[in-house]
Amino acid sequence: MLDFFTIFSKGGLVLWCFQGVNGSFTGPVNALIRSVILQERSGSNLFIHDALSMKYKLDNEFELVFVVGFQKILTLTYVDKFLDDVQLRFRDRYKNQLEQKGAMKLLNGSFQFQDDFQQLLREAEESTKACAPAPMKTFMQSQKSQKTVKSMIETRGGEKGKEKESNKKSKNAKKEASAAEGDGDSTRGGTQSGLPKKSSPKPQENGNEGLTPEEIKRNQQEFFRRMGGGAKKPSSSSSSKSPKPEKLQRVKGNREWVMGGTNTKELDYSNKDMNGSQDTLPATKDNAEDLKQLGQMKGDLRSVDYESSEEEEEDEEVVVSAAAAANPSKSSSKSFRGVFGMLKGLVGSKSLSQEDMEPVLDKLRDHLIAKNVAADIASKLCESVAKKLEGKVMGTFTTVTSTVKQALQDSLVQILQPKRRVDILRDVMEARAQRRPFVVTFCGVNGVGKSTNLAKISFWLIENGFSVLIAACDTFRAGAVEQLRTHQRRLNSMHPPEENGGRPRVQLYEKGYGKDAAGIAMEAIAYARSHSFDVVLVDTAGRMQDNAPLMVALAKLIAVNMPDLVLFVGEALVGNEAVDQLVKFNQALADHSMSDKPRIIDGIVLTKFDTIDDKVGAAISMTYITGQPIVFVGTGQTYSDLRSLNARAVVSALMKA
Amino acid sequence: MEAAVFQPFLDSIQKELQAQDPAVLAVLVALVVVIISIIFMKIVWGRKTTRSAVLLVGLCDSGKTLIFSRLLSGKFKKTQTSITDSSAIYNVKSEKVTSQTKGRGFTLIDLPGHESLRPQFVERFKSAARAVVFVVDSAVFQKELRDVAEFLYSLLTDAEIVKNAPALVVTCNKQDITMAKSAKVIQQQLEKELNTLRVTRSAALSTQDGSTAGGTVYLGKKGKDFEFSQLPMKVEFVECSAKGYKAEDGEADIEQLEKCLARIS
Repeated sequence: MLDFFTIFSKGGLVLWCFQGVNGSFTGPVNALIRSVILQERSGSNLFIHDALSMKYKLDNEFELVFVVGFQKILTLTYVDKFLDDVQLRFRDRYKNQLEQKGAMKLLNGSFQFQDDFQQLLREAEESTKACAPAPMKTFMQSQKSQKTVKSMIETRGGEKGKEKESNKKSKNAKKEASAAEGDGDSTRGGTQSGLPKKSSPKPQENGNEGLTPEEIKRNQQEFFRRMGGGAKKPSSSSSSKSPKPEKLQRVKGNREWVMGGTNTKELDYSNKDMNGSQDTLPATKDNAEDLKQLGQMKGDLRSVDYESSEEEEEDEEVVVSAAAAANPSKSSSKSFRGVFGMLKGLVGSKSLSQEDMEPVLDKLRDHLIAKNVAADIASKLCESVAKKLEGKVMGTFTTVTSTVKQALQDSLVQILQPKRRVDILRDVMEARAQRRPFVVTFCGVNGVGKSTNLAKISFWLIENGFSVLIAACDTFRAGAVEQLRTHQRRLNSMHPPEENGGRPRVQLYEKGYGKDAAGIAMEAIAYARSHSFDVVLVDTAGRMQDNAPLMVALAKLIAVNMPDLVLFVGEALVGNEAVDQLVKFNQALADHSMSDKPRIIDGIVLTKFDTIDDKVGAAISMTYITGQPIVFVGTGQTYSDLRSLNARAVVSALMKA
Repeated sequence: MEAAVFQPFLDSIQKELQAQDPAVLAVLVALVVVIISIIFMKIVWGRKTTRSAVLLVGLCDSGKTLIFSRLLSGKFKKTQTSITDSSAIYNVKSEKVTSQTKGRGFTLIDLPGHESLRPQFVERFKSAARAVVFVVDSAVFQKELRDVAEFLYSLLTDAEIVKNAPALVVTCNKQDITMAKSAKVIQQQLEKELNTLRVTRSAALSTQDGSTAGGTVYLGKKGKDFEFSQLPMKVEFVECSAKGYKAEDGEADIEQLEKCLARIS
């Protein structure tokens, strides 16, 4: 029944394994490790990979992992308990070898666990067979046969009457019930028409809350008059319909705007020469502040800096003597025993249990939520940390709080570390060597800063010597194309084309408004390839994640053009909404692409980072959901406000009290 | 002139010592004891932090844990992705068993290679490293070239590692697979890649406090193409096959690596 069962140390050595079927299970177990344990999703212990479902258990005292795998279609009920039994048996049997620090015993020891395993497996399987499914009850045995027929007639009040007969003995209720029985037949016929005056009362289970039957009847008449008023609605709306046709007679004249011209030609700000134009802005005093930023973005991006005050963190490490009333697990009422207990907790090895960690984790979860981490992400993180620490033996002079805090800090740093190499400049060089443009697509909801950050990224790229083509695929928002054109002019004025051998560094590819975005993107990429541009930055329109047709359009743009990098632009101010946005964007991209290897979000741009001081939780939420790294951090609206993420600084800001 | 200043001070101490005042004597003895114990502690702890470890680093799935197992016990063990480090004492095997070489050993530490764990563990153990064994999967090297180079670059530009300059042994593992590249090819490709990387990574990095976008160290010599011989530390390239050319029960071909380790210690 089981496909495999492995026991391996956290250092990676397989101590014992059982294989029920042929075929290696190293791949699935590695996938389990990478997606669950390393991404801190150990809250639920079930993981499904292809056709295999795996359950696992962590033993934190001896640093072991127990994994069992079986076919996804089977539902085996004994697996959880079986895992626990196996863990206990293995620990008891090999305690001596496992307790050694250092891997020598693990390497040299041979763990002959086969017989124990088979025995436990047999016991587990028998226990499930033992509790056979319960035989069906006969009709005579059921409760339904005890009831009278009359009580089961369903009327509006009759239902309640049935309940009344079984239990309640309140006098009022009985009276209402009998009244209801009488009314019941009449109400069935009278529901459709206007005012059922003698409606069934609605007796509460525990009496009528002090209202007399007359008051009840009066309230119900009011209620039904209002309901009956609904029956009158068609007539009233028909009366209101009559003024409407009169209104339609009036022809709607065009609205006169005060500041606008009457001629659409006046609104056309586009130049005569469109694509590939040499649009540069003359160097006036407006460009002075732009020119100041010239040359600041060469090389790799600087990372976000934080003045992290290290003093508070040190306090956690140093344990004060018995007066450490902050130790939550030892706050007992009896003072003398409490002091003794505190001392015992400080010295000597104590293994962590769920109850010990509970209060600390609750406080940490609230702290994370206060720092703008999405609520369910915070709880999942805390569960995962609890699982990782359960059963772990604490060293001397460490409190529960400090251990849990340290573990949470480690897992946060782990989440923020990119799972793959993030080096855009290197990838662009690689694409240049292959004579194709490097295509980056920006997507996100409305107003997060896609166009602004696109301009910042193109500034960074041209500072490092690449030529950029901006594809204006936002064909919806008014002024989107003009905005990009303005950025293009300013960027070109800072790096004049004379430097580049007569060709401007940044060019804009646009086709106006109202066209299909995917088509424009495809043409822009072809144009870039033929004119040997290094990078194509595709700007898309902002869209809400619930807007299905727009999400389909975005998925089509990405599936058709296969960009090298799909960046999701999210603002750092977003809270729980981040989860929803990212999940739905990823879902849409995966669902609506035709291929079996859909392109989903590859990286995140975190914008408006300067507006939050230390409530940096949005970074955690976004990386946790997608598992993708944060590639850029936007910290302002000028061209040099672009940084890369510094995981340690963000985590220290997050854990700062 | 200072002598004149100290003179009355010394006189007063001498007088008090001669007076055999117990309180002053006790204080002096206590001070001496404290100073001696502080010096002792410093020596003991200082000895502990001398670099006596050899780190096994590399990308995920390059074979570090298997090399670890083979070096220590010679056995083949199935392995999974490591989540934490493993460490053990390794005794150097050498041909000449003299009184010097016997018992010379160091701590072999196997660090996880997964990208999200790598930085933390390297951070923790880099100060204790006497040598770094960088394991490379020779079979898929071409695909992973940029990742390998980036990891190597971050190691070589780390300030502490540059200061300590531990010996670097680049082990080209998985030579039993037919498509495996040889150590020479790997060396050339890495040099080329690192050459490009130092341009993209270190061009005009401004000093930002708290940030480590890349070390402030420039690899090799400016103006010349990067070569491993330009580094301050000793770099060697060896080939090995942890799995062995025969089946799992066969011997692993790690002799070159063992010889290298013997030379280091």
